[in-house]
Amino acid sequence: MTTHSAFSAHFSRVFSATQCAKRHSHAPPFLLSLVLKMAAGTLYTYPENWRAFKAQIAAQYSGARLKIASTSPAFTFGQTNRSPAFLSNFPLGKVPAYQGDDGFCLFESNAIAHYLSNDAIRGSTPQAAARVLQWVSFADSEIIPPASAWVFPTLGIMQFNKQATEQAKEELKRVLAVLNQHLNTRTFLVGERISLADITVACSLLWPYKQVLEPSFRQPYPNVTRWFVTCVNQPQFKAVLGEVKLCEKMAQFDAKKFAEIQPKKEAPAKKEKVSKEGGKPQQQPQQQEKKEKKKEDKKPVPAEEEMDECEAALAAEPKTKDPFAHLPKSSFVLDEFKRKYSNEDTLNVALPYFNDNFDREGFSIWYAEYRFPEELTMAFMSCNLITGMFQRLDKLRKNAFASVILFGVNNDSCISGIWVFRGQDLAFPLSDDWQIDYESYTWRKLAVDSEECKTMVKEYFAWEGEFKHSLTYMFLRENAKTGIRMHVAAEEGLHIFPPAEL
Amino acid sequence: MALRELSSLEKCLGLKKPNKYGTQGERKVPVLQNNNGAPLVGLVTIASHLVHEAKKTVLLGNSAEERAVVQQWLEYRIARVDNCPKDELKVILKELNHYLEDKVYIAGNVFTLADILMYYGIHRIVVELAIQEKERYLNVTRWFDHIQHYPGVRHHLPPVVVLRNRVYPSGHH
Repeated sequence: MTTHSAFSAHFSRVFSATQCAKRHSHAPPFLLSLVLKMAAGTLYTYPENWRAFKAQIAAQYSGARLKIASTSPAFTFGQTNRSPAFLSNFPLGKVPAYQGDDGFCLFESNAIAHYLSNDAIRGSTPQAAARVLQWVSFADSEIIPPASAWVFPTLGIMQFNKQATEQAKEELKRVLAVLNQHLNTRTFLVGERISLADITVACSLLWPYKQVLEPSFRQPYPNVTRWFVTCVNQPQFKAVLGEVKLCEKMAQFDAKKFAEIQPKKEAPAKKEKVSKEGGKPQQQPQQQEKKEKKKEDKKPVPAEEEMDECEAALAAEPKTKDPFAHLPKSSFVLDEFKRKYSNEDTLNVALPYFNDNFDREGFSIWYAEYRFPEELTMAFMSCNLITGMFQRLDKLRKNAFASVILFGVNNDSCISGIWVFRGQDLAFPLSDDWQIDYESYTWRKLAVDSEECKTMVKEYFAWEGEFKHSLTYMFLRENAKTGIRMHVAAEEGLHIFPPAEL
Repeated sequence: MALRELSSLEKCLGLKKPNKYGTQGERKVPVLQNNNGAPLVGLVTIASHLVHEAKKTVLLGNSAEERAVVQQWLEYRIARVDNCPKDELKVILKELNHYLEDKVYIAGNVFTLADILMYYGIHRIVVELAIQEKERYLNVTRWFDHIQHYPGVRHHLPPVVVLRNRVYPSGHH
């Protein structure tokens, strides 16, 4: 497998090397690109808009003549973009918006940046162009959502939600790891020169790098930082961005600023509710109203504070109702137990902690068994079945713990586990997101004080024992008849699924 | 060797008229006979002169610090890389690999003469490396691949194949 992929990389490398050699022997040295037809026009935006930066930097590379209309009288955010003339060209009324001297109009920052580029930074082969598009989309769908969720509260433009911030951090770590891996052997994202991919991804990491990616946080991703610093220090980037100073200390929620902005939002916020019912397109003017309000108050705030629809939706997400909100607070700290379970000895530390602190009013314990063991074939597929379930239940993480075990060998196995939930009922019906898997299992609530429950909790948490209270026991006995005994199986073929990190 | 390097540099800089170089001494140090004044001796001296002649002084660094770093690495090239005994090549690769960990270019954030001359100087070393070694000195390899693809740089040297996907990922990071 590895050898194979290395071979194909080897091949394409040789190919592109000869191509480059050919191309460059004709091009005058240091003239990176010949611009055949340069675009010229006006970019409407509010000042310091990172989405507009993409287009502005692209224009720096291509030499496209770009006038920036970000301040009055040329452009007043909230007024100009609501005028009928503007809306007839740009129906969303959003910025950045581009109007060419020839009358050609474009909205959506990526399209504008693409138009203002030259072939060299768009990617000069179909493959390179597609790769550029790949990273542009990656920035939009993978970087921007967690970056906004984390950074906006630190700018005081969004309410802080610890869970949302923590989740955004984790997601951003995952994204940075992907980038770091890619940039391990590469200088830039696509090919050996800066492309629109670098411009777009760097711009979407601009706020995180300025606000929150403090040295210790970015330390595991040296390749990404090397690449980012190189990008923002290119003359073409610098001309647009100025000096970019990397974060020294992770910014925290700016409660003061948030409070300052909040009351001003109050009035239009009420109206917003009404208008939301009226349909999506009206949302934008509402936001502009907010902006106007701010401007009237003569308190200029960074332009990034203007959330577009997507970001507003994102901001609203953490506020969705907690499915467990109806339950009283519990004394049992599930996170603390999970820490003990994953870091310390199960039988000597985690289990006693569980028994001493378990809150029978606030939580319940369930035994779950997969209903279709005869359909289980390869062990790794069954493992995927279980991890898949955990992934789909991600939002249940805070309120549940499970240890699920796959018993047996290929083509002869079964799945069962012990689950601990908030509340006294099965948690799954509480959210539409959680309904995919649970019906494939039979669920049995265990009486907390029963010997059966104590034994099962112990066995499933520690992944050892007789398991004689579950159907698994029957299964193991069956296997005993065929010669596979439990303790032998444990060494030879019994597949125990790793701890359920739910 | 140094003569071919200087002729490649001329092309790289876009100088139309090739100069004629002589050599002096046992080590064949390049010499450029100057029309007005004393002859220029030594690779770095001549290279810097060519950069000025081509009016591409940005290649010598944009700020005082950058210019100093460029000079430092040109010196390193002459003093350490050239005539380096075989058993010390690894030390050079290790040093460079460490230095390039957080850098795309040798000096500052832009391509300079230090990149060009280091590339010319280290080519004979990199070309001999096995895949495992290229992976061990990953930062050098990445930098090298970038410079050899930089428009107009490679000229007299054969391209070195660099793998993007690591074949021995369990090795050094």
